[in-house]
Amino acid sequence: MPNAILDPTGTVTSAAAKPAAPRAPRLSSLEGKRVGLLINTKTNARPFLEEVGRLLEDRYGVTLTRRTKVNFAVPEPEDVIKELVAENDVVITGVGDCGSCSAAAAADGVVLEAAGIPVAAIITDSFKPTADAMAALRGAPGYKYATTAHPVAVLTEDKVKERAASVLDDVVSLLTDTGLTDTALTEPGKTEA
Amino acid sequence: MTADVTDGAAGDGATAPDPDEAQRAIEYCYERGWSDGLPLVPVSAPLLDEFLATTGKDPDEIIGSLEQVGRDVNVRTAAINAAMAGCKPEYFPVVLAAFEALMRERAARGGGFQSTSGPSPLIVVNGPIRHELGFNTKGGAFGPGFRPNATIPRAIGLIVRNAFGVHPHVLEQATQGLPGRWQVCIAENEEESPWEPFAENGGVTGGISAVSATLTRTMEFVDNRHTPNHEDVLRDLQDTISRVGSQIFPLSGVALVLCPEHAQMFAAAGMSKADVQNWLLERCGRTGAELSSMGKAEVARKGFGGEYEGDEAFHKFLGGPTSIPVIVAGAKNAAISMVVRIFGEWSGTAVQVGDKK
Repeated sequence: MPNAILDPTGTVTSAAAKPAAPRAPRLSSLEGKRVGLLINTKTNARPFLEEVGRLLEDRYGVTLTRRTKVNFAVPEPEDVIKELVAENDVVITGVGDCGSCSAAAAADGVVLEAAGIPVAAIITDSFKPTADAMAALRGAPGYKYATTAHPVAVLTEDKVKERAASVLDDVVSLLTDTGLTDTALTEPGKTEA
Repeated sequence: MTADVTDGAAGDGATAPDPDEAQRAIEYCYERGWSDGLPLVPVSAPLLDEFLATTGKDPDEIIGSLEQVGRDVNVRTAAINAAMAGCKPEYFPVVLAAFEALMRERAARGGGFQSTSGPSPLIVVNGPIRHELGFNTKGGAFGPGFRPNATIPRAIGLIVRNAFGVHPHVLEQATQGLPGRWQVCIAENEEESPWEPFAENGGVTGGISAVSATLTRTMEFVDNRHTPNHEDVLRDLQDTISRVGSQIFPLSGVALVLCPEHAQMFAAAGMSKADVQNWLLERCGRTGAELSSMGKAEVARKGFGGEYEGDEAFHKFLGGPTSIPVIVAGAKNAAISMVVRIFGEWSGTAVQVGDKK
């Protein structure tokens, strides 16, 4: 009886065996809601999210809260997640435009959704594979987010505003489309900006 | 199968291992996605036991976690990866020390392994273990050619790939990566260094075997072999360290891997390691105007995201001794040293190689 070849991956469980992270129920409207901007400190992330917030203020009379990510490279700690949930009806986070921060944006989204808050994470299109992989690791395969073309960091102020406007409908849809059932939320690729 | 010795065979065909079986085992590992691209050593339970016998640690002990991906690595899994990388069992305590040293780095625990920078560990080994295990301590310090120097960093790379699940194009998003990733393990040339071993700078004294590690973003050589003036060499190093291309934050770090000739030249001029560090700390940098003209105004700020300090302000790149670790490596046959760009910052600590208890 020959020896088996040993597996070097350690404690891997199959995707099916992972506990599924539930998605938050969508809101029927953003009218008068509290919108949290979770800014990841990457270049142009702040003006991008501020412009998205300003447009939502104009359109829906939302109230904005702002928070800077503790560390753009990793998901937010538990206490910050709790505060975000307490202070907001929905959260918008981004801009995920690097290897670690795009994955972290997806992870923050999955965790906040499981805590009951709809999230629109904004990620540049170059980093879809890593955002998708992180969401799957967190029990939310096919998790939906909004994308915008890479790069964002080199855009001028005007161009950042244009980008924010162009992603707005996707952001609103991610937060309010009650047609997005849990099943629909597991179909990737619909939110291309 | 016959055991006939044919042209090109090793000549001991009756007792040599079966290459067809070995190839099938290697392909089995490739098919499961375990490989970094090169062939792996297939690991059996008896081989794993040989590795585990070299450490007093419990096989189930967790030795590292990547919180953001929800993965831990224990001693057993690390041993399987070390064996796959081609390590001998007796290298395993060095792998464990190197991994511990690397995981002390904030950048490694954070997003370093996922980064577009694609950083690579620089591992430095000190003490008698260098000779006991047959590390290369002389010429060709950055490799290749020597089993412990080549396989120990590869083991770290396989742990990150397999135990942490960080695969290229998925959770690993390196834009270009860098040559020599998972391949750099220097054994310091203590015998020809005029100074204390590097491990002492990291707090392990008394000639005890120890490992230091940091993440790096490639390197550039400084070839300066025709001047008798040590300050000429320092200015040459200053020029390379002060390049703008690698600066993305107000403070950065470099590991200075000096050849014995340069190190001895500085020592002969009465300089300690700290003197060399301080000379460079004061001078390496650029003005705000220079940085701005190259699109790097954010580097000329007072701290990350801080205020622009003005066109005239000279902006030092290096923050302190841990941002310029000095290591002596290579042969004493030419005056060639290396400036290695650190990703993040060095923890400033060394890890003792554990005894079997």
